[in-house]
Amino acid sequence: MTTVKPVVVAESLEARKASRLSVLGFFMALPPMLLVICFVGAPILIAFTFSLGWTTGPNRVVSIIGQEIHKKDQWWGTFGAYKDVFHDSRFPGDLRTTLLVTLISTTLVLTMALGIGIYQRMIGGRIASIMTILTLVPLFVPVVIASWAIHTFYAGDGFMRTLMSHFGIDFPTLTSTSTAIAIGTIWTSLPFAILMVTSGLQSVPDALIETAQDAGAGFFRIIRTVLIPLALTPIVIAGTFTAIGIMGSFTIPLFLGPNQPTMLGVEISNFFGSYNRPQQSIVMAFIVFAAASGIAFIYIWANVRSAKQSGRI
Amino acid sequence: MAEVVQQDGLVLNGLTKILGGRVIIDDLHLVVNKGEMVSLLGPSGCGKTTTLRMIAGFLIPDKGDILLDGKDVTTLGPEKRPSAMVFQNYALWPHMTVFNNVAYPLKVRKMQKPEIEKRVHDALGLVNLMHHKDSRPGQISGGEQQRVALARALVQEPDILLLDEPLSNLDAKLRVKVREDIRELQRRLGITTVIVTHDQDEALSISDRIAVMNNGKIEQFSTPQELYDRPETEYVANFIGSLNHVTGGYADGQIVPGSDVVGIRPEDVHFSNEQVSGSFPATVELVVPRGHFCEVYLKRADVELRAFISANVPTAGKQGFARIGKALVYHDGKLIRVA
Repeated sequence: MTTVKPVVVAESLEARKASRLSVLGFFMALPPMLLVICFVGAPILIAFTFSLGWTTGPNRVVSIIGQEIHKKDQWWGTFGAYKDVFHDSRFPGDLRTTLLVTLISTTLVLTMALGIGIYQRMIGGRIASIMTILTLVPLFVPVVIASWAIHTFYAGDGFMRTLMSHFGIDFPTLTSTSTAIAIGTIWTSLPFAILMVTSGLQSVPDALIETAQDAGAGFFRIIRTVLIPLALTPIVIAGTFTAIGIMGSFTIPLFLGPNQPTMLGVEISNFFGSYNRPQQSIVMAFIVFAAASGIAFIYIWANVRSAKQSGRI
Repeated sequence: MAEVVQQDGLVLNGLTKILGGRVIIDDLHLVVNKGEMVSLLGPSGCGKTTTLRMIAGFLIPDKGDILLDGKDVTTLGPEKRPSAMVFQNYALWPHMTVFNNVAYPLKVRKMQKPEIEKRVHDALGLVNLMHHKDSRPGQISGGEQQRVALARALVQEPDILLLDEPLSNLDAKLRVKVREDIRELQRRLGITTVIVTHDQDEALSISDRIAVMNNGKIEQFSTPQELYDRPETEYVANFIGSLNHVTGGYADGQIVPGSDVVGIRPEDVHFSNEQVSGSFPATVELVVPRGHFCEVYLKRADVELRAFISANVPTAGKQGFARIGKALVYHDGKLIRVA
């Protein structure tokens, strides 16, 4: 008994220490959790109930001010506002523009990020380093300034048309088009994508590439079978972050995009402010949210795949 | 530059490599016969891995030629050389199964699927890993990963197999087991092999010949036994095995005043209770158990010596007689006499 007792006491002390630490950990994590619940979670929930016609409680004032408000006619609510949006002639065009700009811009951003990342990983040297540094410049330029810079560059009286007219070329006016939105979103999204993709590619050990070379693989086969599969997780993450960012973008489509059809970020703002139709604008926001959730699913898949590969799960 | 030797196997002829303004490999010559297993042995930074990477094609020498079976491969990239390399950390692709790792070189060569399957199964059978063919590298042990890397190299049927410290990541017991496996396979397949190691035990136990490297040059290239019994330079004598290192001369079994260096292997120092020819009175100062033998520190009138004794180990303070069985005498770092 006398030999066992100290061990038991030590174990009990250890257990109490662990328990104290876990309580401390919980309280340390509590403030950010409460912040997210109060300032993100609750507003989302309230907005969702409002979109279903719950016009009392926190939704009362907005439902009094707003126009074309649908009130719930079932215990769970109503799809009236959703029907409004889907029957609105502007919505399909906006949704198509949003999805198309997101798809094209994300594809171009990833292609450029991969091109620069692979060039730096496989060839390297001074030019690759300079290119990478240059592509990071937009990270330090505010979006508003970049948007106006692009606007003046491609406007009807902008730099490109002026320059080209000297050579007798009628350069198209790109401002107020979806192309201008794509140029703007690529400008703002490229630096982050390059950082993610380049670090992913750089983290592939040299030995894995050299082994492929030793096995007889050429440049493109190494990229296809070794480099990209091993850096797929950061590439997918860069792609999903870029796509979600572009899908929800507001400043660039507002400054550079057309009035109609435009991206949903701008249309949501129009419906909420200019048209005073808050319920319909929230419905649009939930549609964008649903599309972004689809992209987020790819993000989760990439993380699970990475964890499986490294044996963490 | 020395003339190119035309013969089967590997010929390194006057290789020189400068990296970052520093000469890493300096006019290196080496001939590895077909089917031979040669170790490049030396401390970190002596240039052994650089030499191996030049043989593999990952580095192009600044001077000199590399010939494989009489063909000049000096400027060929690794993908065009008939060699296969096993890396220190095995370098298995984590996103591929064991089967796909081994099959990769064959897929690159655009072989037919049935042929790939047959050769991969043969290679995995050779290293006893058929049961792991569907596992991922992260799901098997370090020793098994090493064997997969070996199978991936062997499946290519290379003219020369290059091993870059392949055992350094394994624990001591597994290292012995895997090195025996490698040696057995190499002998069975008769494949020309160059292995880089800094572990002298490893080099001595599996090599036909060993090239001891120092500062980008080969100090001595001999069989393990010759290297141990007759190290041509003081550096090699110190690097291989243990050595009593004494400044002086050697005459009639005794150390005498002089400016040479006398090297005496501890196992060539004999202690007994009775005086025999060439032995002199000695006192046991210290006994350190080393497992299957003891390291015994002896004090004689002319010299203090370390001896490795495995039977009838004396105790500290015991008086007796110590005899030097063999001494290596070096002048200016070169062997001048074995006495």
